[in-house]
Amino acid sequence: MADGHRAAYLAFDRFPSAKGSAVHIRHMAAELFERYQGGLLCVLGGGDLPAYQREGGVEIVRFTEVVPNLLDRAEAFSAWAAEQLAPHRDTLELCHVRDPWSALPAMTTGATMVYEANGLPSIELPYAWPHAAPATLAKVRELERHCLARAAAVVVPSYVIKNAVTDRGVTPDRVHLVPNGADPAPADVPRPPDAPGRYLIYVGALQPWQGVDVLLRAFARLADLTDLDLVICSSVSPNRARPLRRLADRLGVAERVRWHYQLPHDDIAGWLAHAELSVAPLTACDRNVEQGCSPIKVWESMAAGTAVVASDLPVVREVLGEYGRLVPPDRPAELARAIRVLLEYPQVCRDLGENARKHVLAGFTWKHARARLADVYDLVVRH
Amino acid sequence: MTPCAVTTGFFTLGKCGTMAVAGCPSCGRALCADHVTEGGLCPECAAANNRFGHPAAVAAYRRRAYRHRSAGVYQDTVWYTGFDSYDRAAFDPGAAASQDYLDDGDDALVDS
Repeated sequence: MADGHRAAYLAFDRFPSAKGSAVHIRHMAAELFERYQGGLLCVLGGGDLPAYQREGGVEIVRFTEVVPNLLDRAEAFSAWAAEQLAPHRDTLELCHVRDPWSALPAMTTGATMVYEANGLPSIELPYAWPHAAPATLAKVRELERHCLARAAAVVVPSYVIKNAVTDRGVTPDRVHLVPNGADPAPADVPRPPDAPGRYLIYVGALQPWQGVDVLLRAFARLADLTDLDLVICSSVSPNRARPLRRLADRLGVAERVRWHYQLPHDDIAGWLAHAELSVAPLTACDRNVEQGCSPIKVWESMAAGTAVVASDLPVVREVLGEYGRLVPPDRPAELARAIRVLLEYPQVCRDLGENARKHVLAGFTWKHARARLADVYDLVVRH
Repeated sequence: MTPCAVTTGFFTLGKCGTMAVAGCPSCGRALCADHVTEGGLCPECAAANNRFGHPAAVAAYRRRAYRHRSAGVYQDTVWYTGFDSYDRAAFDPGAAASQDYLDDGDDALVDS
């Protein structure tokens, strides 16, 4: 292209995908590219995603190389991203990154860097890679510290992550809170044709920290509610659900659990809006307690006007506050009891849902999140 | 007596101190008979010229290489991405908790 881009968004993440992270990337990148009338988006490819796309002023390039080892892949992504950024070196003004492996190439461009810390690999990696040694994770932590220190601003979706980031040496005045959000579901969103009569819903991925096993155990305690089903809208493929399906089998609830995989994001609103309750059973593990998150499932359930029952963790309390029912994490009996009580008082459920919906509309839609991000851009560009 | 000025020792470094019999033609430091390497150089100058015939030259080379590696500026990204084979082994496809986790998404580090 004749002119270089002025903005770039880099993420070591597949985009688009059915995951919450992709929803997040979509909105944050849109704000960046709208501001600079286009830009360069460097993300992971795979599947049927094209390696190159041009959408108006936005160029999307995807890393498609197959590298089996995760660390090798992350480093290969870094090197590849550096090559993508090189032609735009003279014109780049702002790089928005989501992880250390995106930050490393962005730092070499000399552009202002905004680091969006939704998670910290040094905390999350051991969940999927249990053999990662503490010394290795210490190196990853050092890498995070190095990258965060060089960001003009660090954007975090929750206070818990803010603390984790300041623990890594970032001064609090450079950390900006931009909570996730959700777009309101249309009032007349149709009921999905294959939806059961009464159902609880879980929406999201199936990593151990999501606590879907706790939900299944709680659901097994509601066996007397024979007209109640559990719908699990998994953002990941059926393979990943295998251990949980086996658990549902063992608990004797397999027939009442309906699994849906990687549904398009637009379909989720219908499933959420017509559920009795939405459940976010996050566990009290380091990932949720020390690192933090801003669970999009909770935001979207609130926006759909569905009452939420969720684990009483700082990250959830921050989002849900008084607009849902909090239960102690990792306690299936407590979770089952809270669900049972709410189901017995449908009016309370409706009020909770409606108040949550109003709360989101008043200040936590993606439009609000984008406005908060725009303020951060204003701040770093001015300096 | 002029003592030999070659650095020796493993954990504790010091000067050799034996009586010198020659001088290094490159750096001029005094050398004892044991520390004269091929070409009459001191072990460090020999190592700098990639001559490792003398055991002390090998040690000098390693010290020099280590200092060179570790003295990079702090911003050197290569230093940070210095994961060794031990670090990497934990992230091989077969090292995951369950093969079920590898069909997709393992590249996604964070999922909000």
